[in-house]
Amino acid sequence: MDYKKIGLKCGLEIHRQLDTEHKLFCNCSTKMVDKKPLTIIKRKQHPVASELGRVDVAAQYEFLRDRTFHYQVFPSEDCLVESDEEPIHALDQEALEIVLQIALLLNCKIPEELHIMRKTVIDGSNTSAFQRTVIVGLDGYIEYNGRKVEITHVALEEDAASIIEEDEKNRSYKLNRLGVPLVEIGTGLLIGYTPEEVQEIAYLIGMTCRSTGKVKRGIGTVRQDVNVSIKNGPRVEVKGVQELGLLSKIIHFEVQRQISVPKLKQEVRAAKPDGTTKFTRPLPGAARMYPETDIPPIPIDKKMIRMIKKHLPESWIKKMKRFEKKLNLSDELAKQIIRSDYLELFEKIVKKYRVDPSVTANVFVSTLKDLKKRENVQIEKLEDKDFEELFGLLKKRKLMKESIPDVLKYKVKYPKQPMIIGIKKLGLQVISNKELMRIVKDVIKKNKGKPEGKIIGLIMSRVRGRAKSENVVRIVKRLLKS
Amino acid sequence: MYSKGVQDVLKRKNIKIGDFIRVKKDETVYEGILMPRIKLGDTSCLVIKLSNGYNTGIKFEKGVKIEKTRKGFEIIHKHKKDTKKIIFDKKLPTISILGIGGTIASKVDYRTGGVYASFSPEDIAMQIPELKEITNIKAEEVMSIMSEDVTPDTWKQIAKEVAQDVNAGYRGIIITHGTDTLHYTAAALSFMLRDLPCPVAVAGAQRSSDRGSSDATMNVACAANFIANSDVAEVCTVLHGTMEDDYCLAIRGTKVRKMHTSRRDAFRPINEQPIAKIHWKSRKIEILNKNYRKRNDRKLKLDIKLNPKVALIKFCPGLDPEIFDFYLNKKYKGFVIEATGLGHTPTLGKYSLLPKIERAVKLGLPVVITSQCLYGRTHPTIYHNLRELSRRGVIFGEDMLPEVALVKLMWVLGHTKNPDRIRKMMLTNYAGEINPRIGPKDFLV
Repeated sequence: MDYKKIGLKCGLEIHRQLDTEHKLFCNCSTKMVDKKPLTIIKRKQHPVASELGRVDVAAQYEFLRDRTFHYQVFPSEDCLVESDEEPIHALDQEALEIVLQIALLLNCKIPEELHIMRKTVIDGSNTSAFQRTVIVGLDGYIEYNGRKVEITHVALEEDAASIIEEDEKNRSYKLNRLGVPLVEIGTGLLIGYTPEEVQEIAYLIGMTCRSTGKVKRGIGTVRQDVNVSIKNGPRVEVKGVQELGLLSKIIHFEVQRQISVPKLKQEVRAAKPDGTTKFTRPLPGAARMYPETDIPPIPIDKKMIRMIKKHLPESWIKKMKRFEKKLNLSDELAKQIIRSDYLELFEKIVKKYRVDPSVTANVFVSTLKDLKKRENVQIEKLEDKDFEELFGLLKKRKLMKESIPDVLKYKVKYPKQPMIIGIKKLGLQVISNKELMRIVKDVIKKNKGKPEGKIIGLIMSRVRGRAKSENVVRIVKRLLKS
Repeated sequence: MYSKGVQDVLKRKNIKIGDFIRVKKDETVYEGILMPRIKLGDTSCLVIKLSNGYNTGIKFEKGVKIEKTRKGFEIIHKHKKDTKKIIFDKKLPTISILGIGGTIASKVDYRTGGVYASFSPEDIAMQIPELKEITNIKAEEVMSIMSEDVTPDTWKQIAKEVAQDVNAGYRGIIITHGTDTLHYTAAALSFMLRDLPCPVAVAGAQRSSDRGSSDATMNVACAANFIANSDVAEVCTVLHGTMEDDYCLAIRGTKVRKMHTSRRDAFRPINEQPIAKIHWKSRKIEILNKNYRKRNDRKLKLDIKLNPKVALIKFCPGLDPEIFDFYLNKKYKGFVIEATGLGHTPTLGKYSLLPKIERAVKLGLPVVITSQCLYGRTHPTIYHNLRELSRRGVIFGEDMLPEVALVKLMWVLGHTKNPDRIRKMMLTNYAGEINPRIGPKDFLV
């Protein structure tokens, strides 16, 4: 499809949960591990006029559905604040610092005073009927393929409650996600890009967030909204794209939908796992924002900004260069590991165990994928400490790199067993030079007069996965010569 | 309120709050609506509402350029003082809603940045769609003040307004009031409105009405239903019974207390059961306590005489008895002591309150003993020092709440100075403020 010709315009809004100790406006944990709710609270909500006196269309629409909201309250992760029974506490400083870092990495201007806003949401996903959000950065950019991509704003928000189930009259939510700090990054209109390029841009923004080392990882921690429109058409917002790799597909499908549906309305659609979308509600306007009054505006002094600038984490561009130059990763491998969920772990392991960085990176970007894809090994079960164990053993030369897939597979199966035992059980212990020498001598003796290649083959079949092939070749050559 | 410097620039450029402006700072252009700002913080920070709805603060300093791009709209604080009658259906009864102020009438205020009483009773009523099936409305904003600004004079004024509307034949009255002192007002009205023929429901909200999650909607809806469809003719508070939007409790105005700073169900009955449970959506009214006055044809007697010169003294270990001298010198006419347990105060050594109490009693001033336990009854004779107090002529206030005893004593002192008469009146049950039979289930309800 010729996206230029159809006039594709996109806008991205990227959300990532921050990995803070406390929630944005209270002292509850952000871990979201509680299993059993303490109680369930049932509530109703109603439409209200905004600061500018207009009742929001989206809010009204939701109201007309007259739903009852059921909120599950979790013991260590919800207090009266999440239940809308206690005013919010002061804004979490840790979250503020992380999001200021992100804003500065995205070259944003930081306002001198932050005004927390209430964004009306009457779908019940917030017990207060609004989501608190505050702009911390404006007018920034990132570079992509030599072009500047505008970043309109970076905001710090409270995450909404997560929906469990709904029917016509009821909606059930888990309150433990409510209040988890969330960074929202909005781009300007992306004109002249293909869906794949838009996806690339989303990647880059995501990596910038990740470079702080303070964003959460895993399912549900990333959500992307994308506005899609084509020439002379209205803007449609697709919400909640959880998987980055799906973004280009979604844009592509949405364009096709917009071409095929004649009278389109401005609306919000939800992303489905297969890349298609479904209608949720009309697009809300700016009128749904009004100021938070429970706590005053937050001044940002220049000293604080200077301090944060001084300790800004390495940008992904610099990281990329460093990976290529200092770690000798290929361009492709550097790109892959930077995008990988294992980036932080990779850096930690390279620093700590000093195993060949390319070998290390390859484990994370290809070995794991292969195990999953080809043998459906549940690699999610592997924890950070398992990889540390693996590379620790590699460093001590207790296994050959060729054995890594088998050892990991074994670990998934027997997670409690020390890896070194697994290596022994798999018969993959590294052979000492002395032992190798003995085997080589033995094979040469029994196969006198046979060609070199044949002898090497015979030896390799006995020591595969336990000795380096180049060592075998070297020793065979030397012994045959003498 | 912006700083003088900013105000001058705005004036010079003919920019008013609400106008669309463009601000240029360090090569960045901010466009949006100039918003009013609160006094707190840096008043030279311009608050701009961006096109995406966000407000942001841009400091106006050297090198910053500001210009008006077009005239905006006026940000109006609509403030309707006039009475408004809304007739949905002539067959339905009509209820009077009297607005006093408080969180229930609150929304954002730009001067202070806090919430402020500026939501009229009509605004509140219009937020409750089912009201039209229950009742017609006469809405009037009597005043617009927060709870903490309510005084005994305010009680009188409210009582007068209520009396007027009761006599005008309204089915009943809803008072929307701030929650912090709502129970004082409810108690005062209970004493002032004698021979009440219809219900008076005092309602409030713990979440302001400009929030989609406000408890005002259910509280006022339940109050209207309670007035329209029950035979209770008492002054009651009507607010959330639980943290959920399921039902409200109608609690006698003299047996209620705000027991939580922020929860919706902060108002709890003390030493008795609530009169009724009013279910919101099903509109079912369950009577929980049959001890109430029924709707009747008697003529309301307005009895608002009060003497506010009454002190409520909370005893705590080490309390200096001289505190009484202050009040006596200031010509206070009565004391309510929030004593410990069954009604104890120290009777030994320099902390003994006995000499001061004796002095007050000798001057013919009443001293009423209540308990800081709130739950349970005081007792005049169980312990030695209770007898000492008793012997000196203090009045043990039965199970009256300290705040209720305070309001009652003001009201009693508005009627008599005679110590015997005061004692008699304090121990007469005028408005259910004394429960002669506290049951086992009347604790932590």
